[in-house]
Parts: sequence; C-alpha cells; structure tokens
Amino acid sequence: MPLSVRQLLEDKGVPVKEEHLETLNNRWKEMHALRGNLESANLDEANISLTNTPGGDHIE
Amino acid sequence: MSKEVVLKSVDELAPLIEQKSLSPVELTKAVLDHAEHTQQATNAYVEIYREEAEMEAKQAEKEIINGNYRGMYHGIPMALKDIIYYKDKVTTMASKIHQNFVSNYDATVVKKLKEAGVVSTGKLNMHEYAWGITNNNPHYGAVHNPWDLDKIPGGSSGGSGAAVAAGSSIASLGTDTAGSIRIPSSACGIVGLKPTHGRVSKHGVYPLAWSLDHVGPMTKTVKDAAGLLQTIAGFDRNDPTTVNVPVNNYIEHLTGNVKDLVIGVNEEYFFHQVDSGVEKLVRAGIQRLVDQGAKVKQVSMPSLQYAEWAELVTSLSEASTIHHQHLLTRAEDLGNDIRLLFELGELPSAVDYLQAQQVRRQLKQDFQKVFEDVDVLITPTLPVVPTSIGDDHADLNGEKVDLIDNVIRFTGPSNLTGLPALSVPCGLKDGLPVGMQLVGPAFQEASILNIGYAFENTNPMDGKRSELLR
Repeated sequence: MPLSVRQLLEDKGVPVKEEHLETLNNRWKEMHALRGNLESANLDEANISLTNTPGGDHIE
Repeated sequence: MSKEVVLKSVDELAPLIEQKSLSPVELTKAVLDHAEHTQQATNAYVEIYREEAEMEAKQAEKEIINGNYRGMYHGIPMALKDIIYYKDKVTTMASKIHQNFVSNYDATVVKKLKEAGVVSTGKLNMHEYAWGITNNNPHYGAVHNPWDLDKIPGGSSGGSGAAVAAGSSIASLGTDTAGSIRIPSSACGIVGLKPTHGRVSKHGVYPLAWSLDHVGPMTKTVKDAAGLLQTIAGFDRNDPTTVNVPVNNYIEHLTGNVKDLVIGVNEEYFFHQVDSGVEKLVRAGIQRLVDQGAKVKQVSMPSLQYAEWAELVTSLSEASTIHHQHLLTRAEDLGNDIRLLFELGELPSAVDYLQAQQVRRQLKQDFQKVFEDVDVLITPTLPVVPTSIGDDHADLNGEKVDLIDNVIRFTGPSNLTGLPALSVPCGLKDGLPVGMQLVGPAFQEASILNIGYAFENTNPMDGKRSELLR
C-alpha cells in the first residue's frame, strides 16, 4: 500500500500543515498524471543528464 | 526631463552619454525620481540606493569627462533582482528568512556590471526565493503590472519586468528556472533573454534549482539585451556550471537580415491550448519574419509530452533540497504558497528524479535533431495573458485553468535543455502585452537576438508604452 503524503512528510521530519494536505494530495495526483505513458516510453538506460567528471569541475 | 529620458533605451542613451550631451548624474537623478514616483503604483523596488547611486553617477561622469568612456552601459542606472548579491548590501531573496542577509562579496555579474560602469539604483522585488510566477509577495507586497496595475507582472523576476516597463530602471537582470525572465518580460511588454546554461555565471546568485537556473538580461529593446549579455557573459572559475565558450560580439551580429532563415513551428505542443488572441499575435509575428524572407517548417518533438512532468520533478526536487532545512526549522517563516511547493518537492522519489533526467536527455536530443533542419523555434512565450493579482487561475478561451502549470508550459523546456530563449513583445491583447519566444541552438544567442531584432524592427507594439510611461 502506498504511503500517504502525510506519512511521507512526517518520515522526513517535515512539519505537516493540515490545511495543505488536500492540496498536496491533489497536486501529487496531477503530477503523476503528467507522467502519461512514461513507463512505456522506452527510456534508454544509458540516457541520462548526470555526469561524473574526474579531476575537478573544469576540464580546459 | 524626467519622463523624456526614462523612456529611452540604453541604445538611445549611450551615445548621448558618450558625446557628453547627457550627464549620468542627471539621468540617474531622473531614474531615481521616477522610481520613487512610481513605487507606490508598481512596488517594483525592495530598496532604492539613492545616495550611493548619485555618488556612482558622479564617478561615471568624471571618468567620461576625462575621456575614459567604458562602453554602452557606462553611466546607465540599473536595479537588479534582489537575489543577486552586492558586497556589504542586504540581499533578501524577497524572503523573511533572509531579510537581513548581507553578502561579503559581489556576484560575478555585479562585478562585471561595476567594471562596465553601471550605476546601481537598488534592488528589485520578486517572488519569494524566485519560486513562483505571480510576484504576490507576502513579505514585501505584490508587484503590479505597469500596463494594468490590477494585473500580475509575471515572475519570478516581476520587479525587474515592472521596473523596466515603467522606466524606473533603464534595464535589469533577472533569473530563470522555469521561465522567470521570459514570463515577466512577456507580461510587462519588454525583452527578456534566458541565455544558454553556462553562458552567464551564477556565482553570487541564490539558487532555486541548480541544474535549471540561469541569469540574463531584461531590457526595453533587443539591442539593449545584446549589449547587456555582452557585458555579463563568460566563463567563471567560481561557477562550475559555466562553459568556456568564446563570447560573441552580440551587437555586431544584429544585422536584421533573416532572408532564408528557417523557422521551426511545433504545433502539437507549443500551439496546443493557447489563448486564441495570443495565438493570433504569435502567428502574425511569424508572418512578419516570413515577409522578410524567412521560411517555416513544421517540426515534431515526441519527448515534449513529458516535459512538464520532468520540469516539475526536477525543479521541485532541487528547490526542496536547497530549502530542506528551512522547511524543517523555519516553515512558519515561509510564504504559504512556497511552503506548499517545498512540501510537494519532498515527495518525488530518487527514481522519479532520475527518470526526469532521462527525459531531459531525450528532449536535448530531440531539440538537437530539430536544429539540424531549422535555425530557430518560435512559440508563444505564455499561453495566456497576465491575470488579476490574487487569482490562481487563468482564463484560457473561456476555461479556468491552473495559472502556474500553464504559465511555465512553453518556457520550461528551455530550462530542461539549457538552450537559449528570447521573449520579444509581439502585440497587445485586451491592452496587455504578449510575448513571442525564440529558441535557438546552444550558445547561438547571437542568432536569436538577430531574429528578435529583425522582428522588433517591424514595430509589432505599434509604439505603445505602459500606462506609467505615457
């Protein structure tokens, strides 16, 4: 069973504002809907915008 | 004199200053007077630096009289978004938590502006911590749109948009994480440029979301934006995200020639669910370029269907990481709207965030492929016009839609891809400005500025100015 928004926040020590819970639930559902068919989007496992550049931040 | 000079662009003022027919001291005094006069109407400033500005203007004047004119921005009075650090000055991020924060160094962009001889007139209001698009700030008050004082100026750089549109700052800088330069530029009828990620240093600019943040010009004209980008661009050892790519002479590239230019138009994403009046103006804008010899090509980018989700997950997660301690220990000091966003940003999983980065890479590839066939992608900057202050919904062809979700729909993809994007005014709908967005390949700011310049030369605003400049 998925954790509720309240549980997710409380687990992280975030003080929960009661009047935000309904809005948070709705917005979280809306965000999930925006994923659309992402699960079947065939994302390439090597296709990611994160890099690990050795030798410092700048290569000149 | 006051109104006469404050409505001029940098491009008009600079030769007068260089030829010594306009004193930076007189110009600065006129801008400060006008800023104080319009402050009650717009609430654009958080702080006005009258004394320091007058001293800096005197110094600029002395240098120019002695033959040491530094260039286009020498002696130009400007205020910046209050998220950019000035040494020994308070930078509030328009927040309660940072209301007394004093930086012990200048942001790199401030250092560069000082080197160019810019006169600092103060700090500009913004959405708290740059995390919103209304500029309805609970700590420093709402910023009002100079075209209609009941409307939002857009955000988060709404103080910058309002100040430039009202003439209370000759030009300005904003920051942009999902559209925060281009949104207020569109809403306030000015030019806003989000440069390529890595083109302008963010050192000394309080972050909102590291991988999406940009700093860029907000100006009256495209030429002013080109000159300002020239002033602030470049590699910076203090900012690991800057890229060591040579800075072009952006003004020299403003030829206004768009013959044989290929304009990409993506119907399924960028012209879907757009206010009919906005759509009409943007399509008419494209036609103005076609009339000058440009061609239009339809393009497809399948990964755009996931762009809103990827932008939200990335920006929410990064912003909530930056503000995690604020949420744990000082939640009551945060504005209600951004507290809610920080709470929301605690919810995505690591898998969500990393999938968003995979989508992001696909978007970059889709855009790169499109730019093999076209020179620029043209879209509306916003799908709607500015709403009334306090209204969380926008009217989209008679339907009430969520304001924030809709306002960032067309600007967000350029933050995910890091590609440069320029908003230029393209007309008025019901008396409110509408912006047209030009997106270009990485580090091709010179190209999109030139297209914007060619478009601006067709006088799409028909010489109209905001109410406070009439």
